[in-house]
Amino acid sequence: MAGTQSPRSDPAAGPAADDDRRAALARFLAEASGAAACEITGLAPLSGGSIQENWGLDANFSGGRLAGEQRLVLRAAAMTGVPSSLDRLQEFAVLQAAFAAGVTVPEPLFASADPAVFGKPFLVMRRAAGSAAGHRITREPALDPGLPRIAERLGQELARIHAIRPPRPDLGFLTPPEKTGPAPQIAGFRAYLDHQPAPRPVLEWGMRWLETHLPAPLPPVLCHHDFRTGNYLLDGPSLTGILDWEFAGWGDPHEDIGWFCSKGWRFARLDREAGGIAERARFYRGYEGQSGTIIDPARVHFWEVLASVRWAVIALQQSERHISGGERSLDLALTGRRAGECELEILMLLDPGGCPANA
Amino acid sequence: MGDLPEAPALLALARDVLVNDLLPLLPAERRLDARLVANCIAIAEREAAADLAADTIFRELEFFYKRERPSPSRFAGASLSRIAGEGPERSEGGEGAEHSEAGESAPELMYRLARELRIGAFENSPEREARARAILWRLTIARLRLANPRFLAANGFA
Repeated sequence: MAGTQSPRSDPAAGPAADDDRRAALARFLAEASGAAACEITGLAPLSGGSIQENWGLDANFSGGRLAGEQRLVLRAAAMTGVPSSLDRLQEFAVLQAAFAAGVTVPEPLFASADPAVFGKPFLVMRRAAGSAAGHRITREPALDPGLPRIAERLGQELARIHAIRPPRPDLGFLTPPEKTGPAPQIAGFRAYLDHQPAPRPVLEWGMRWLETHLPAPLPPVLCHHDFRTGNYLLDGPSLTGILDWEFAGWGDPHEDIGWFCSKGWRFARLDREAGGIAERARFYRGYEGQSGTIIDPARVHFWEVLASVRWAVIALQQSERHISGGERSLDLALTGRRAGECELEILMLLDPGGCPANA
Repeated sequence: MGDLPEAPALLALARDVLVNDLLPLLPAERRLDARLVANCIAIAEREAAADLAADTIFRELEFFYKRERPSPSRFAGASLSRIAGEGPERSEGGEGAEHSEAGESAPELMYRLARELRIGAFENSPEREARARAILWRLTIARLRLANPRFLAANGFA
């Protein structure tokens, strides 16, 4: 998640290393923008971003296409790579495609895989104002009156993303659509669970249901694959950016709709089914109006069940990042216990009558 | 039995000191971490106090596979984590584990349930299917009573 949250200090980077890195980055930015020179006036990690690391980057460009003071974000891979996410150069290409399609995203500016510049691959984009914090968005009374309109707008944004369709040579690195459908996803979840220290009977039961209710494939569209509250920026009542494109890929449009509406992403407002911010109908209206297509509720239901399985698996993966030693983090350590919440949701979605009596 | 106060009471005290005495003294940007620590302590508190529900679920699971009631005390002390297969006994073929009549430990039975649900083993028997589903509900509710009782309540489960 990027935003204008206060940069916090970075105790890991020593002053000397920091100076070298700034100098190399300044040279890169000057050259890439056609400026005579570039001075970095601020570089500090932004809060948020559980998988990628985001840096607030303030720079003063002497000439070139970005002449003047600029507030930017530099996005690099965090220390533990999570499988199946795009690298920064690929994410940059997806951002460019979305930007060109009229999606509200921070304008992507540069990307580089040269380790001499920042030590690891990164991309640079403009810094949009606002906050993405899901708990705050769903709790703050001042935001409340504007949220239904935001939900409708998000529906329109999602429809613009889904208007990007293959063939797209610029997105040729994306996994072919036939390998990204629900069946390969289920196979991936099962393979992951087979290596877990504990069995998860509810997830197995949910995946069996999914496997026996696969919807007929639709023509693939570009899915964001993490389109949800927590991944868009609100500046007061205005939507300023859709963030975190690292999981983008071809898929069924209902996949993103199910993910957005799934209970795991409603934060403080479980009762508001569209991302904890509005009724589902308002979000659907925005989507249907922009796309000219009708959302199929049965398909959304399927993908919402899959969303709960996927979130449970991600929760287990997150806690594994802590358990297996990569990252010491209370937040990650506690995330694994959220898998139980997903399991309850799977039961509620597939067995609305509740626990069988007398069984 | 250990010393007094027992673990749940000791953890409750630690959480109280953290939230009420220490947290107000912390700078604003570190308060979230303190709240996460308080949440960890609360989970440990509930887990330390909660072996009974797990014992019941495992007896049900055993009955599901054996079709006969085991003696009520057979699995006393089986914690939810051990039942869910997180205990160290999983790969040891059951040494020191709670065993069913056929020699399957609590984690082994849970594995068996998971494996059989994956292949739809109960789908031809409405009675077996409903009983398996009931175990899933009880297991999930027991898990959330420990991990996140507020989420359980927010979804209408007491």
